[in-house]
Amino acid sequence: MDDFPTATEAAIARWFSVSPPNDPGRRMVADLTHTIAAFEKLRGTMVFEDEPSSFEAALQATKETGV
Amino acid sequence: MTDLADLTLVEAADAVRSGQATSRALLDACWANIDKANPALNATIWLEREQAEADAKAADRAVADRKPLGLLHGVPMAHKDMYYQTGRLSTAGSALRRDWRPAITGTAVARMAEQGAYVFGGLNMAEFAQNPTGHNKTFGDCHNPWNLPYITGGSSSGSGAAVSARMTYAALGSDTGGSIRLPAAACGVTGIKATQSRVSRYGAMPLSFSHDNVGPLCRTARDCARILSVIAGYDPMDPTSSREPVPDYEAALTGDIRGLRIGVPSTFFLDGVDAPVMAAIEAALNVLAARGAIIVRMTLPLMDAVATYGSIVSRVEAATIHAQWMRDDPQAYGQHISSRMFPGYAIPAPYYVESLSRRGPILRAFAAEVFSAVDVLVTPTIPTCLPTLEETDIDHGPPGTEYKFLAVSINTRPFNYLGLPAVSVNCGFDPNGCPIGLQIAGRPFAEARILRVADAYQRDTDFHALRPGVLS
Repeated sequence: MDDFPTATEAAIARWFSVSPPNDPGRRMVADLTHTIAAFEKLRGTMVFEDEPSSFEAALQATKETGV
Repeated sequence: MTDLADLTLVEAADAVRSGQATSRALLDACWANIDKANPALNATIWLEREQAEADAKAADRAVADRKPLGLLHGVPMAHKDMYYQTGRLSTAGSALRRDWRPAITGTAVARMAEQGAYVFGGLNMAEFAQNPTGHNKTFGDCHNPWNLPYITGGSSSGSGAAVSARMTYAALGSDTGGSIRLPAAACGVTGIKATQSRVSRYGAMPLSFSHDNVGPLCRTARDCARILSVIAGYDPMDPTSSREPVPDYEAALTGDIRGLRIGVPSTFFLDGVDAPVMAAIEAALNVLAARGAIIVRMTLPLMDAVATYGSIVSRVEAATIHAQWMRDDPQAYGQHISSRMFPGYAIPAPYYVESLSRRGPILRAFAAEVFSAVDVLVTPTIPTCLPTLEETDIDHGPPGTEYKFLAVSINTRPFNYLGLPAVSVNCGFDPNGCPIGLQIAGRPFAEARILRVADAYQRDTDFHALRPGVLS
């Protein structure tokens, strides 16, 4: 994973034409390894839902019904 | 009546309505504190005194003519400078919009105007609402009214500071990861983020459309209830806004919390909590218990998922919205914002879609487990004593400053992904004299309940009524 920041910056440049704006930005790209690890840790813990709008339904299903 | 600026929003509106005070007198009282405190606070981006005097005159004429008066009649206000008003500045705290004047007026501002409020200024904010501290490269950092070298919290920094320093009776903020609750906590005022979709976002600068919320910062829970009752509700201009009926939030403020079950999470929200903050939270719980609430210590489910998925959603959406400027003029941004957005472009789309798709199931599972056991959750709004502006200045600080900076919003972000309403009230002060915030969260559309708890707490304490040091 040593070349992860370089490879990731190159991918961002290729896909978005956005360059690293500064050193903290570069460090935060390197930190995406933590995001990947956190995401992988959750894999298999929940069923994938293919309908993102289920959130609005969940708000209704779990709402307050009186004070 | 001594200083009119010490009135709460509700008291000020009632004073105008009853003829005990004029709108012009309220405006003059706010302006006296702007003159006194703002040079030290830097809480404003623009002010329009002449237009405000004309608005005050019109409001006073309406009272004299016995015309129908709205719930906010004659109350002068200033808002976070990201709410669109036709022809007026709306800088979003950025050099990229330094001179921008929108052609529309946002729904929240319009609804308050329909109820008689008027706007006299735009308040300082984190650039594009993207930091939790109040730093601003273009317009200057906003300072804490209780202790100037310390952060105000962000991103609604000027809203928190100006309400605290009695420069305005209330201010709109916005909350994508805590940006109403954090400055409310840090500046010692009250701020509510309602349920996702409760308040229209039309005419509010977007940051993360899944997590953005519009809401007020005020001195009291009752003030927040008054404003929320005006701005909440379906808006055809924002099709994502909820059609859920809007209850009478003020009527719910009975002070009665007997038998209410208050959950105190022993994990996540108390990780790394500072002792003075914990002591203030425990003291606040004692106040609520004395009113008959039942305190329940508990662990919360799914917090790793909430934190991970929520972070992905926010970062991807913000990066997407800002892609054009990040390509064309990245150095126009402060480092703290461009550095946070940059990695958002590397997060794969399947991560983003998966994070969004699990939001509903996670909310259902969280609510089923948590709200079967308790009615509300109480946590510190910010788990640590406030840092200084210098300690959290990414633009000028040493490598690693970005991590201190992000830790400020650790306790507020989860409620944005979950979409739950949460309010922050002042519950004491840290050893540096900076306020400590108590965060109260509830199930979807439980704004009335969490405001009732906040109001009950404020009936028995006076932290919300104290004047900050900058006014002494």
